[in-house]
Amino acid sequence: MTGYFVRRILALIPVALGVTTLTFALIHLVPGDPVIAMLGDNASATDIVGLRHAMGLDRPLGIQYLAFLNGLAHGDLGQSISAHAPVATLILEHFPATLELAGAGLLTAILLAFPLGIIAGVNPGGAADLGAMGFAILGISIPHIYLGPLLMIVLSLDLGWLPLTGRGGLSHLVLPAITLGTALAAILARMLRQSLAQVRGADYVRTARSKGLSETGALIRHGLRNALTPVVTLLGLEAGSLLAGSVVTEMIFSWPGLGRLMINAIGARDYPLVEGCVLAYALTYVMVNMATDFVYCAIDPRIRLS
Amino acid sequence: MIPRPSTRIARDLSRALSTPRLFLGIGLLLLQSTACDRSATIGKPPGYLQVDIETSPLSIDPRFATDAASSRIAEMVFDSMVKIDAHGNFVGDLAESIERPSDTSLVFHLRRDARFSDGSPLTARDVKYTYDFVTDPANLSPKLRGLAPIESISAIDDYTVGVVTRHPYAPALETAMLGVVPSGAPGIAGSFGAPIGSGPFRLVSFARDEKLVLERNPFAPRPEAAAGGIVFKIVPDPTVRALELAEGVCDFAENNVEPYLLGYLKARPELAVVESPGSAYQYLAFNFRDPRLRDIRVRRAIAYAIDRDAIAASMLGGTARVASGMLTPENWAYNADVTRYNYDPVAARRLLDQAGYPAGRDGMRALALVFKASPEGRRLGEAIQAMLRSVGIALTVRSNEFATFYSDIQRGNFDLTSLQWVGINDPHHYYMVFDSKMTPPSGLNRGSYSNPEIDRLVELGDLTLDVAQRRAIYAQVQQLAADDLPYVSLWWQDNVAVMSRRLQGFVPFPNGSLRSFSNLILAGGESPSIAAAAGPNE
Repeated sequence: MTGYFVRRILALIPVALGVTTLTFALIHLVPGDPVIAMLGDNASATDIVGLRHAMGLDRPLGIQYLAFLNGLAHGDLGQSISAHAPVATLILEHFPATLELAGAGLLTAILLAFPLGIIAGVNPGGAADLGAMGFAILGISIPHIYLGPLLMIVLSLDLGWLPLTGRGGLSHLVLPAITLGTALAAILARMLRQSLAQVRGADYVRTARSKGLSETGALIRHGLRNALTPVVTLLGLEAGSLLAGSVVTEMIFSWPGLGRLMINAIGARDYPLVEGCVLAYALTYVMVNMATDFVYCAIDPRIRLS
Repeated sequence: MIPRPSTRIARDLSRALSTPRLFLGIGLLLLQSTACDRSATIGKPPGYLQVDIETSPLSIDPRFATDAASSRIAEMVFDSMVKIDAHGNFVGDLAESIERPSDTSLVFHLRRDARFSDGSPLTARDVKYTYDFVTDPANLSPKLRGLAPIESISAIDDYTVGVVTRHPYAPALETAMLGVVPSGAPGIAGSFGAPIGSGPFRLVSFARDEKLVLERNPFAPRPEAAAGGIVFKIVPDPTVRALELAEGVCDFAENNVEPYLLGYLKARPELAVVESPGSAYQYLAFNFRDPRLRDIRVRRAIAYAIDRDAIAASMLGGTARVASGMLTPENWAYNADVTRYNYDPVAARRLLDQAGYPAGRDGMRALALVFKASPEGRRLGEAIQAMLRSVGIALTVRSNEFATFYSDIQRGNFDLTSLQWVGINDPHHYYMVFDSKMTPPSGLNRGSYSNPEIDRLVELGDLTLDVAQRRAIYAQVQQLAADDLPYVSLWWQDNVAVMSRRLQGFVPFPNGSLRSFSNLILAGGESPSIAAAAGPNE
C-alpha cells in the first residue's frame, strides 16, 4: 500500500510536466498579447518593448519555458502579469472556494443519487423507478447556466430562503452546490440503479433472501456494497467534470474561485497565471482519482492496491 | 426573389434577440408569480451601498488603473488637480484656481484643506512625486504616454504646482486628471495594495473576484446622512445582476444591465431606472489597407446600407442616440452641420454599381468582407451582415474571445469591425484615432487611415489655445470625417443606471463617472431625488 502510494505520488511529476508543457504551448500559440492587454493600445511602441523586456517576454519561447520549469522546480509559479501578485498566492486565495464548492457539489450529488438510485433499483419498472429516473434525465439535461438562475429565482427571490450569490456561510453554498451537483447526481443515480439491478440476481442476495430477509433488506444489506464499485469508479471520473462545471457555476453565483481566476487570466493572456491554474486543476484531478482507488479498498476488501 | 430588405432585417434582428429573451422570459414569469420585496441581508455594513460591477478591478492605484472598473473606483479614492463635471467641463478638484502664464505653462493653485485618509495634508510635493513616478519609464506606468506632452512639473511652493509643456498643448488639462498619491508611495510591486488617497472614500478591503469595500475618508468633508461606504460586488453574470437589483441586494448598477431586462426592472416599484445621454461612441471602422475599402463609394454605400435607427431601437432597446460623429451634441466642439447617412439602400446599391461591383442574378456582388467581433459584438455583426446582404455585400462575421479579437484589430487583421470609444471629452481624440502618425503599434488609428488635410487640422487643433479657433478647426475636422468616412458613426450609448429608490442625490455623468456617490444618501423614504440629466455645457 505504501509503495503504491509513493509510486502514485511520483507519477504526479510527469503529469505536472505534461500538463504545464501543453498549457505553455497552447497559451502561447493563441493570438493575444499580455503587454497590450496591460498597457492598452494607446501605449507607445517604446513602452510596449520596455514592458515586454521587463517581463522577460522578449526572450525566445524555449528560454521562457526553461525559466518557467526552473521556477516550478523551486516551487515558484511566477508572478501574475495582470494581477501583479505571485501566482501561488492567487491560487491559494481562490482554491479553497473552488474546493468548497466542488466538495459541496459532490456531497449534494451523493445525497441525491443514493436515495434515488436505491428507490429505483429496489423496484425496477415501478412508479418510484420511473419518477426517480425521470428526475435523473431532467438533471442530466439541464445546463448549469439555466438551473442556477432558476434556483435563484425560486428559492431566493420568490421564497427568500437563501442568499442569491457570493461566498459566506453554509446558506450561500446551497444553491451553487445544487446547481453543480445535480447533473452528477443524475448520472450516479442511474449507475447505482443499473448496478443494483445486476446484483439483484446474484447468489449471495438470493441466499440472504432465503435466510428470511425481505427483498429490499437483502438488496440494501448485502447487495448495495457490491453495487458500489462501479459507482465509485464513475464518481472518480466524473469529479473532473465537477471541477469543469465549477467554472460556470462560479460565474453564475459570483463565487470567488479558481475558475473565475483562470477565465480572467486567459482573457488577459496572463501566461503564468493560466499555467498555475491549469496545473492546480490537473493535480486536483489526479489526486481525486488516487483517492478513488483508496475508496475501492474501503468498500471492497478483496481489492488490493499494488 | 429577395425579400424586402426592411422585413428581412427586422426578422433577422428579432431572431438574433429571441433566444436569450425566451430563456429569461420563462424565468421571469416564474418570478412574477410571487413577486415580493426583500431587503438586503448579505455582507454589507449598515448605511453602505452595494454596487454591482461586472469585472474585478485590476489596480485602483491611479498610476496604473486603466480598466473601467479600476478607473471608476480610483476616482472615488484619489483626487486629481482637475476633474470633469456632469456637463463634461473641466473643473478644479485639488486645484482652486488655474493660471496659464504662457502658451506652454500652467500654474495650479491647490486648495489647502485636502487631507489624505491618514490625516496628512496633500501638498504640491505629492503632486510632483506622482507625476515624476508616472513619467519615469522604469516604473512602467501605462499612463506614461498620456503625459508625454509634459516637459517638467515643479512644486513652486507647498500649494502651487507648475507644469511646463513641450509645445503649446490645448488639451493640457487632460494631463491634470491623474489621481494624486502621497509622496514616496511605492509602486505596484507585490500586491493590489493601493496607496492612500485624499478622495471622499478610502479602501478598506479587496477580495479579488469577490468584492471591494470603500469607507468614508475621515478627513474629507462628508455631507450629513451621506452613505457611510460602498461595497462593490463583482457579479459577472448579467442576469444575476438584474436579479440582485430586483431582490434589493444590490442598490445600484450602471451600464451593465442588458437592454431587454430594463422593462422588467422598470416595472418594479422599488427601482428607478435613470437614462441619460452618454458620450460612449460606437463606430464601424474600415481597414484602409484593403484597396476595396479605400474607395469612398464603397464606404458610403456601407454607411447608407446600415439602418442605425432599427439597431438602436431593437438591439439596444432605445438606449442610444444615432450618432453623426465622435463628439456628442453636449460637447463644446460639436458640429451638427455634417453629412449624415440616413438609411438608404437604394443609394447604397447605386454607389456600389458605380464603384464597379454590379449585382449578380441573385442580387449579390463580387464584394465579400470580413467583420471581426468579440462575442459581445457578434449580434451587431449579424445585424450589419443582414443589412449589407440586402444591398449585395457578403459579410462574414468572425467572433473570437476578446483577447484574440483585439489582437486581430491591433494587427490590422480585419476588413470591418465595430468598437466603442468611452470617455471622449476633448476633440484631441480625433488626433489619437485619425492622424496618420497614430497607426499601430503606437496609436489608435487601427484602420491605418491617412488624410493629409485631417492630419494638418488635428495637429493644428492641439497647438491652438484659443477656444473659438479650436472650435472652428474641429468643425472642419468633423465635416471632413463625415465626408471621408474613416468610421461610420453608429450611435452614442446612453448611460443607464438602475438603482434603489432609497438612493438620493445621484447625478449622471456623460462619461459614466460615479463621482456623485460622495454625496449620495441612502434614505428610508419612497421618493427618489435624482438630479436632472446632464444638459448641454454651453
